[in-house]
Formats: sequence, C-alpha cells, structure tokens
Amino acid sequence: MSLYNFKKIAVVPTAKDFIDIILSKTQRKTPTVVHKQYKITRIRAFYMRKVKFSQQSFHDRLTQILTEFPKLDDVHPFYADLMNVLYDKDHYKLALGQINTARHLIDNVAKDYVRLLKYGDSLYRCKQLKRAALGRMATIMKRQASNLTYLEQVRQHLARLPSIDPYTRTIIICGFPNVGKSSFINKITRADVEVQPYAFTTKSLYVGHTDYKYLRWQVIDTPGILDHSLEERNVIEMQAVTALAHLRACVLYFMDLSEQCGHTLDEQVKLFQSIKPLFASKPLIVVANKVDIVKLDELTVERRALLKEIEDDSQLNVMEMSTVTGDGVMEVKIEACEKLLSFRVDQKMRTKKVDGIFNRLHVAVPKPRDNKERPPCIPESVLLKKQEEAEKRKRKLARDIEIEEGDDFVVDLAKEYTDIPEEERHDIIPEIWEGHNIADYIDPEIFEKLAELEKEEDIREQTGMYVTPKIELDETIKEIRNLASQIRAKKAILKEEARINKQSRKPVMPRTTRAKVRDRSVGKLRKSMENLGVDMSDTTDAHFTKTKQRTRSVGPVAKKARMDIQNTNTQSRGLTKPPRNEQGIKDLAMKKKLDKIAHRAISKKVARMGLKGEADRFIGTKMPKHLFSGKRGTGKTDRR
Amino acid sequence: MALRTNFESKNEIGVFAKLTNAYCLASIGGSEIFYSTFESELAENIPVVHASLAGCRIIGRLCVGNKNGLLVPSSTFDQELQHLRNALPDSVKVQRVEERLSALGNVVACNDYVALAHPDLDRETEEIIADTLGVEVFKLTIAGNVLVGSYCVLNNRGALVHPNTSIVDQEELSSLLQVPLVAGTVNCGSSVLGAGLVVNDWIAFTGMDTTATEVAVIESVFRLNEAEPSRITQEMRASLIEGMS
Repeated sequence: MSLYNFKKIAVVPTAKDFIDIILSKTQRKTPTVVHKQYKITRIRAFYMRKVKFSQQSFHDRLTQILTEFPKLDDVHPFYADLMNVLYDKDHYKLALGQINTARHLIDNVAKDYVRLLKYGDSLYRCKQLKRAALGRMATIMKRQASNLTYLEQVRQHLARLPSIDPYTRTIIICGFPNVGKSSFINKITRADVEVQPYAFTTKSLYVGHTDYKYLRWQVIDTPGILDHSLEERNVIEMQAVTALAHLRACVLYFMDLSEQCGHTLDEQVKLFQSIKPLFASKPLIVVANKVDIVKLDELTVERRALLKEIEDDSQLNVMEMSTVTGDGVMEVKIEACEKLLSFRVDQKMRTKKVDGIFNRLHVAVPKPRDNKERPPCIPESVLLKKQEEAEKRKRKLARDIEIEEGDDFVVDLAKEYTDIPEEERHDIIPEIWEGHNIADYIDPEIFEKLAELEKEEDIREQTGMYVTPKIELDETIKEIRNLASQIRAKKAILKEEARINKQSRKPVMPRTTRAKVRDRSVGKLRKSMENLGVDMSDTTDAHFTKTKQRTRSVGPVAKKARMDIQNTNTQSRGLTKPPRNEQGIKDLAMKKKLDKIAHRAISKKVARMGLKGEADRFIGTKMPKHLFSGKRGTGKTDRR
Repeated sequence: MALRTNFESKNEIGVFAKLTNAYCLASIGGSEIFYSTFESELAENIPVVHASLAGCRIIGRLCVGNKNGLLVPSSTFDQELQHLRNALPDSVKVQRVEERLSALGNVVACNDYVALAHPDLDRETEEIIADTLGVEVFKLTIAGNVLVGSYCVLNNRGALVHPNTSIVDQEELSSLLQVPLVAGTVNCGSSVLGAGLVVNDWIAFTGMDTTATEVAVIESVFRLNEAEPSRITQEMRASLIEGMS
C-alpha cells in the first residue's frame, strides 16, 4: 500500500554526536592493549586496525544516510516536487552530495594513513599516525555539521508527511482559503482536519480515506491558493499546486458564492481560469459551497454572468453544496468518484492491463444440455424467515452457554441426536468394552431381534419350561437332613471354640490392679488359725515362728515401694515435690482449666509441625550423607 | 447473504466447516465462536453438527456431501461415523469411502445435482459419489488444477471457479454444471476458493479477509440476495477493473 514510506529513515546525528559515536565504537570494538615491547608488525597491525575500523564505521553510517534518504530523481514527480517546495531541491541535493564527498575523503584519509602506518617504526610513531588519521576524519565530519543538521530536519519533516499514494484513486480539493475545503473532507472522511474561520488554517496537505463502490478513495485536502503568479506563491500554496500538477486525480474546485471567505466571485473565477492548466485532462467538478447562505439561482444577474463561462463549459459541471447543512455533500462525493472511476477505467481499457482479468469480468451462462430441472433446495423455514426478517433471534447459542458456564463448559456432542430420546441421548458408550470394539457390534435390527427373543421367551414360559417340579420328601431324606444340620451346628461350635483357644492363655493383669501386699506373717497365721478355732497358745516356740531372716543383697537402699497407700487422691511424691504440671495450682478447677490450655497448645504444635504426638521429637537427618561426602568446591555444602 | 467469519483467526473456514442444503458440519475448536456463527444463522433450519474426522479438525477438506448424502474418508473412526449418523437427518446417507485420495473435499466439488471430480479418482468412488449423493459426476481439471474441490465452489444456483480459468473453460464448465459461473477470488485475492468459502443455496460464509468486492461477487453469483449474476458485468464492472488492476 504505502509505496513511499519516509517514516523509516534512521536518525541523523549531529556532527559532534556522529564523531563521538564512531570513536567510542572504535574504542569498544577494537583491542585496547598494546605494549612497546611487542613485535613492530603487531603494533602496526594494532593501529592499522583502529584506523580501518573507524573509517569503515564512518563509511557505513554515511552510506546509510545516502541510501535511506529518497533520491529526488527516483521518487514519483509529485514527491520530488513536494520536496523541492518544502526543502529546496538544490539544498537537499547539495547536502547529500557533500555527505558523499565526505565519505570519499574519509576513505582516502584512511587509505593514506594505513599506508604510512606500514612504515611506522615504533609504538609512539604508530600511535601518533593513528591519532592524526582519526583527527582528520573527525575534522572532515565537523565540516558536515550544517548538512547533518539540515538532513535531520528534513528527516523529521518527511516522517510527518501524509502517506499519499500517487497512483491510487484520488480526489483533490482546492480553492481559495476559507471556502470550506477542510469542512468537506471532514464530512466525507475521518481525516479530522482543523477547521477555523480564518484563512490558511490548513498549511499542508492532509489525507483522508472514504469508501465508495467497494473501493477506497484517497481524499487530499490542500491549503488555499491565492490568485497570483507562480513565482509569487509561498510554500504553503505551492504544496497545493504540486498536488494538483502531479496527481492524476479528480479535482474539486471549491467556490464560495456568499463571498464570506473574503474573496469576490470575480476573483474566484479568475483563479479558476489561471490554474486551469493544472486541471488539464483530469476529471473536474466545480463545487459551489455555502448554498445555505446564497443559492446559485439567488445570485444577482451580474454575478451570475461571471459564472457563465464555467457553467457553459460542457466538460464541467457545477454542483451546489453546503457543508453546514450537509446538502449535496454526498452527491458531490458520488459524482466525483463516478467521474474518476470512469476516467480511470477508460484509461485502463486503453492499455493492456485489463486483458489479464477479462475472464473474471465474464459470467458464463449455461446452455441447457437436458430437460432436467435443477431447482435450488431452500427449506421452507428459510424462506419464511427471510419474509419475517425483522424478528429477533431467540435461540440460545452454544457460545452463550459457553460464556454462561465458563470453565465448566464441555461441548455437548449428543445435542444434535434429535431422533434419540432425550433420556437416552447422553448415555456414555465406550469405544472399546472388554476388549471389543462397540461399533463392530452395533446392530441396527437389535430391537426387532430383542422383540423376537422376548416372544420366544413368552412361548417358553407359557409352555411351562421354567416351572420347577415339586420334590416329595420321604422319611430317610428327612433323617439325613436333620443329621446334617446337627453336624453343621456342631462344626460351628467347634470352630468357634478353636478360635477362642488359639488366643493367649496367659493370665491377664489389668493395669489397674494394685500390687500385692505381702501379707503372710506369723501373726496373721496365728490369728487366722485362732479364728478357725485352733489352739495356738503353746506355739511360741513352734517351728513356724522360727522363720529365718531373708538375706538381702547388698546394694542401694530399695526405694520405698509405692503400695499400701491409704489415700490415693493425694500423691505420694507430692508431699516433697509435686510434678511440674501441678506446681502452683490452687485447686481442681484451675487444674482442669490449665489442662485444657495445655492440651490445646500441644495439639496446635503437633498439627503445625506434623508430629505424631506430644512426645514426637523427630529430627530429620542432621548430616545428610550427600552433602558431607566426596569432594566439593566452594559454596556447595548447602545444596547439591 | 454472505457472512465473514474465521476459525481461530484463520481465514480458511472452508477447511473447518462443510455446508450443504441439509446440514452443516463445523469442526470442534477451542471456542464456540466459530460453531455459533453457523448455529445462529442455520440451526433453526438445518442441523449444525460438531464433527471431527479421523481425529482431525480439517473436516471441510476431508469430506464431501450434499443434501442427499455425506461421504467421509476411510480413516474416519467408527465413533465419529456413528456420531454423524446420529446427528444428521435420516435422509442423509453417511458413507465411508475407501479412496486413495482421502481428502475428498479437495478432490470433489458438488451441488445437489452435479459433481466435479479429480481426474485420478477411482471408478468405484465415482460410482459411490453418483449413488450416495445422487449426482452426475464429471472428471476434469479447473485452470490446470486437478484439485477441483479446492478451486471450485458451487451451489444449485451458481459457481465460483479459480481466477485463472479461461472464458472458454468457464463456458464449458457452466454448461456441465448448468449454473451461471464466474471466476473469482476470496480472502483478498486467494485463489483457493474451497478453503475460503462455504456456501449453500441461501447463505455463504467467507474468510474474514474477504474484500467488499469479493463479497459482492459471491452474493451475486450464488444468488444470495436479489442481485442477478449479470450484475458483475454491469454495475460492478468498473469497481472490479479498478480493484484488480
């Protein structure tokens, strides 16, 4: 589309920046260390490289400027002329020419100094030669300072030029200042040109685009033109003249019948006549604007006479329009487009351009080859719908459901199975079931077959195939059964007993039982015997009183056994030192409360640390083998 | 009426959909936007069916069909076939075709009466097409292209063929098909019409890039609005010349 894109030209640095850029680039991109004890060839090569590198950088950068800026001889004459008007052709060419010369000079300087460097006999001398070479290159660039600033300005201006395609369908609007040109372009395009009630609001070309007949039309708004000779025209006017002269477009010449623009009708007609050569061989329409103030028919006779010449021209047509009320705007646009379209098509038909696409402008109409009717197959419902198109759509679309359900949405493939009943439609049928492909077993006549089978089954049932015969029980069988049931019962009991016997037979000592107190003593025996009525009076020397003292092994004094405690509620050890969880507790209520708090705290800790219980003090491997064995470099002890 | 749409921002909607006078197949995408474009326009009149063939989304190129039937390639899975049989009306015969040129949509273009086929198509396949779809089959090329399904789109009222088709060929094709025929493009100059356009007797869907001129040509040649195909040679002539050269 955009044949000419001036927006991509790289920035042109100022001379000072230019030198800085290249020198720092040389510094960065070439070796920087050299010593005088190096071989002289190496020292020479070191400095030669620097000189050559900076020369190449200068050369590349200047070449880039020269290639990127448009050559006035290569671009479309419209752009060439526009650039001449805006930037002065001579100045532009000179600037580029001088840049080109500077490039050559730099190349030559580098060549000379590289040659001299070949004869450098010490590091110092080589260094001085390099300095001289770079210095001379910098001087050459310094002299281009004004050219570079000029080119940068041109670049900035070029980048802001409207992208006008000189070959496409174009409508140019021209006329005196303040006749309503910009208002018109704002009406038919979205160019959004500034409109103000004073002359020369528009100071450059503006482009807008509009659509007509499936095509895109470029509309160019030009600054106003005054009626004087070409030499007297200023830059602003010259832009308009350039566009008129070089673009093969439909020209709309705007006139202000009300003369509110500050120029009389006479002047406007004269301007028309003087710039008429620019309209030669172009479709032209004269637009009488501001008819909301004065209509063409309301003009006085003398003034109407001024227009007579224009109105009499058969090539021309005068159209009335008012951009304020919008009257005639569309008519003017359509007329302009139509005129230009037919003009361009005519021109194309004359060249051979159209031959290639003739086959696409042809509609092949069939010759009947038989008597068969081939009507279109449009369902009745479609035709009906076409009739009542006003009716709004009511169906809930899959997309609506998708939006509604969000992430939960799944495509319902079964929705379209209209001939399967609703409740069966969504039954899941696996593709493979127990190693069989379901599709291989799908039988379209399954229901018929099923019905047939059921019928057979009915017949079987009716014939009594499934009636179980009655079995008569006689005595022996009864006896056998009775015995069998007894055997079964006995077996069950045995089984149960075996199960119980298999369990441990060791005495079970519940944890709650008290320890046995030693209660066998001479006194107790005597007492119990007396109670039983035995005379124990002369047994003071009896054998049983002569119990021997048991020897005790020598060792630490045995702890006082915790037995024979009368009051179980008070703790035996508590007398001296209560356990820590009971220290400082006033009463039972307080103890309960504290227990509760402790329990909560413990369970919290257990949950947080993932412990098994209060007593779980699991600590993972403190010294994982993989972190503490083998060779390791610095800083690899933590993770490897 | 011609509508512009796209499938996951691809303009080749003919690849992902198949449209006939009796049903419409749309492939299963990441979103329902594509399907719903068809659903909103068609679902009241004909079934619009989510489909995949051989696990692929390129159903438009793999199958061929008209109001009488639907032919799918041999690679179609049993379940997919069963799905199509369940979803499509009973009047539409769904059949698998054992054909070497398995992209049936590319090698066959058809309406409800006539079909154009790739010259190398099997004789058996040709017979199956004739029987199942109820059409006359002609084997030929379009503008030197054997993939007639890709370079020709037709309905019962008109046809659009590859833009390089000569006028003589156009006349011949038109007489075979018994419909008016125009050479044209879709999707801003693409000659692969089958990929960019699906059409039946009352509606067309084209790729999103299709220009206004192309839409106008499509609407008039397929008689989707009141315009006659002759409009292309009359009112639109200037625009077409301007647009194309």
